[in-house]
Amino acid sequence: MSAMKNRAERQPLPAMLLCVGFVSLWLITAAFPFLWTAWGSFKVEADFFSYADWTNALTGVKTIQQTGAPFTGNGYEGAWIEQKFWASVINTTIVAVCVVSISLIIGTLGGYALARSGFRYTFWILIAALIFRAMPHVTLVSGYLLPFFQMNIWGYLPTTIIVLVAINQPFTLWMLHSFFLSIPKDLDESAMVDGCTRFQAFRLAIIPVMWPGVVTTGLFSFLLAYNDFTVTSMLLTQENQTMVPKIASFLGSIQGENKVMYAVAAVVSAMGPLLVLILFFQRQIVSGLTAGAVKG
Amino acid sequence: MAELRLVNVSKSYGKFVGVKAFNLDIKDQEFLVLLGPSGCGKSTTMRMIAGLEDVTCGEIWLGDRMVNNLEPKDRDVSMVFQSYGLYPNLSVYENIRFPLRVRKVPKALQHDMVMRAATMVELTDLLDRRPSALSGGQRQRVALGRAIVRKPTVFLMDEPLSNLDAKLRVSTRAQIKNLQHTLKTTTVYVTHDQIEAMTLADRVVVMNKGEIQQVGTPTDIYDHPANTFVAGFIGSPAMNLIEGTLTNGSFAAEGLHVDGLSKAYSGQVTLGFRAEDASLTTTNSQIAAPVYAIELLGEASMISYRIGGALVSIKAAKDYRANIGDIVKAKVPAAICHLFDTATGKRLGAQ
Repeated sequence: MSAMKNRAERQPLPAMLLCVGFVSLWLITAAFPFLWTAWGSFKVEADFFSYADWTNALTGVKTIQQTGAPFTGNGYEGAWIEQKFWASVINTTIVAVCVVSISLIIGTLGGYALARSGFRYTFWILIAALIFRAMPHVTLVSGYLLPFFQMNIWGYLPTTIIVLVAINQPFTLWMLHSFFLSIPKDLDESAMVDGCTRFQAFRLAIIPVMWPGVVTTGLFSFLLAYNDFTVTSMLLTQENQTMVPKIASFLGSIQGENKVMYAVAAVVSAMGPLLVLILFFQRQIVSGLTAGAVKG
Repeated sequence: MAELRLVNVSKSYGKFVGVKAFNLDIKDQEFLVLLGPSGCGKSTTMRMIAGLEDVTCGEIWLGDRMVNNLEPKDRDVSMVFQSYGLYPNLSVYENIRFPLRVRKVPKALQHDMVMRAATMVELTDLLDRRPSALSGGQRQRVALGRAIVRKPTVFLMDEPLSNLDAKLRVSTRAQIKNLQHTLKTTTVYVTHDQIEAMTLADRVVVMNKGEIQQVGTPTDIYDHPANTFVAGFIGSPAMNLIEGTLTNGSFAAEGLHVDGLSKAYSGQVTLGFRAEDASLTTTNSQIAAPVYAIELLGEASMISYRIGGALVSIKAAKDYRANIGDIVKAKVPAAICHLFDTATGKRLGAQ
């Protein structure tokens, strides 16, 4: 760490400036849309989508005119209470939690089995998984639509969860499989000689070492379920909608004044949990992404 | 504690045979070393005893139980791995306690048992550390502690010293020998290092290509190798082996002539003798050849010759000096010679 710092300090000034400049430029470009939306979500539509002057979105001229204060919670109130955005939040939570747990249960067991199996067909299973992973999500949905209608299970959350798990599973298997490969076989074997069954060895000796991998994979699964639009928008009824299709419907169908602000407020609300999640699991994610750090 | 019996144990992977018809009785409290070059099937044999590898055919008996179909956990063995196999997320204390925890030993007893094991392997100061904060030798001691914390019927050790540096290897070796003596547990120890085998074993099993070459005490194996493989594997330097013809009790090869050998055999034979049994001389020599190399070992000087295709070493006094290329004479009396059949490699007679 200190060696790296020293080297950075020894860089000539123009190079330093260039680096700092580039990084700041990138930071601004990356963060701007989020900050802009978060700031604007507390204004009225006439400010955030102002034709007259874009700085209105910053100063909130119309917001002061309409509500008497520079910031307003009208967007949030409308989205959460009037449009029942809270129901979508609950739906998203159910979908995301279920997808993550099912994916991880199947993924850890399957990944472990594939990593420890000596047979050559494991390679072909993984290749098949990769092929399914590469297909556009919509191929799965279009194939499922008719059977789902006929079986009368279209529109419910469990149906969506199954489809999302199917989309996500190949990736989970791959990811966890490579994590398990990086854990020496001696660990299972010493656990088994020490008195564990195969499953106990998996649970007591391997999984505790695997946490960074499980957390990282879990997070990616969560993001897939959380952010999915293709599947959720086609397979869920209006009442069962999750956040992302709900936000899309705010943007699309509501024409009245200030209704677009519902979408903006909802978007900002949807960002919150992600930030918290990443801050919370930061360390595990970093060590998970730089895998192989599990050796004793 | 019990004896361990392997009856006709074999292991094959498809067409490849890893271990061929292995028969061995290991006595209670015996320290048995499986010795051989890498890929000779010694680790596979041990893993079959542990239950980590299925037995293709044959039977493994632990005391009066046939354990072929038992899971590793039900065999009541403990094992030390080459790469330690410690649980990186647990402290030293928890690592040693792990077997007690999964085997549901009463909680009240656990602490005392862990402390007893930790004292035996001198780890009491490091109990709170994680394995990653330990040196190689300390990690190996944790693995040993974990193996001895309960009283298993058999200890299995799979090259436990090969990841340690030379100095640590010597001290840990002594520690293992002492532990086994104190605990009086039947031990099977796998190694490719013949010095470890000689120093630790009550009996050594020399293996090559999945087959037992010889079983015997270290002295037996050193003094009476059963075939050219054992002769060439055991000892540092290994036994000198020279191919030649035996007629009427005298051995002839290019550069070496020995009289007075057994007259019971004749034809193509391999003559073997140990470097330290032969000696340099000025008269009446069997070898008179230019020195190929001289190595100073400290406690002795090692003179080598090129005889036929083989390199022949002879141990000389520690203050002996010669230049490469000097003609030096050496004495190889019949009494120190071992004879092997060149075609089969088998030992001829008792000499």
